[in-house]
Amino acid sequence: MTEHCDDLEALIEAIADGSHAMSAADAAHVASCARCGTQLELARSIDSLLQMRDVATPSASFTATVMRQIGREQWQTERAIDLGFNLAIAAGLAVIVAGAAGLAWSLGFLNITIDLAALRQALDTEVTGRVLSQVQTLAMSAVLLTMALVLWWWAEAASD
Amino acid sequence: MKAFSEHELVQRCRQGDETAFRELVDQYKGLVVALIARSVSNRERAEELSQDVFLKIHKGLPYFRGEAKLSTWIYRIVINVLSQERRDLATISLDETGDDDRPRHEPASEDRSFGDLAIKDRLQKAIERLPVPYQVLVNGHYLKGMRYEDLAEALNMPMGTVKTHLHRAKRRLRQLLETELR
Repeated sequence: MTEHCDDLEALIEAIADGSHAMSAADAAHVASCARCGTQLELARSIDSLLQMRDVATPSASFTATVMRQIGREQWQTERAIDLGFNLAIAAGLAVIVAGAAGLAWSLGFLNITIDLAALRQALDTEVTGRVLSQVQTLAMSAVLLTMALVLWWWAEAASD
Repeated sequence: MKAFSEHELVQRCRQGDETAFRELVDQYKGLVVALIARSVSNRERAEELSQDVFLKIHKGLPYFRGEAKLSTWIYRIVINVLSQERRDLATISLDETGDDDRPRHEPASEDRSFGDLAIKDRLQKAIERLPVPYQVLVNGHYLKGMRYEDLAEALNMPMGTVKTHLHRAKRRLRQLLETELR
């Protein structure tokens, strides 16, 4: 291998695809050097094979398959949103029920069924004061209910 | 006119217009499948990966800001999908293949006589061993309908260096064919 071989090595692909014109000296070298001649021949073969490669075409059902997969993915997303919404509603209801039960318990209403005298007592003027003292619990329940309803609205809007 | 219709198509897709997305798939499926099938010789796998490209396009459209052309963005997704498929070849930089340092092989005389089918098969194997960006460059360059500028942009290559990289990729192919894939 000569220095000329090294110089030509870097140009072989450009000569093979015609983007670089071979000088007379290079042409003479290629004609006399078996290695460079073979390399140029190989580079030309590669270039022509690359040009002649088959072009794959999509199957007839390609678009339909893509659309079906998108539909399936959207359905799964909607299902996840529905599940999240249902869980949120269930959690909201559980909190409200727990809040109401807690409120009833703190007001002494849980004793109503077993103690009618206590109910009558609870319904008198004292009850207003007791409700006012539980206003934080009531407010919390209202906020949770509102959040659940907002979440419901959002889920419905997202699924449209 | 074309830019407007592309913008319009993207807008319609973003608004959830299924017909528009079907139109987008029909418009680009030919190039996407052809490009991927040239890197992945298993036809079924190539089709699956192409479908995956369109699923990613559908998911990504709400975030597509239109700074690049739609085709460039799609080719980038193709490159990502191919890179995920061939993780071993995904991260090799175009400048790090070290092709100039490889030992040169003196070709034997029978190299001249291998049949077309044999060399086609070897060429395919050689292409599959190139780093993904090289694969996309070589495959895309010889694909009718693929715009040089889009390819360069998708590969983050300045236009002026595309030809240099292409020659480098083809030199690597030649080296693979005359050494490891003889």
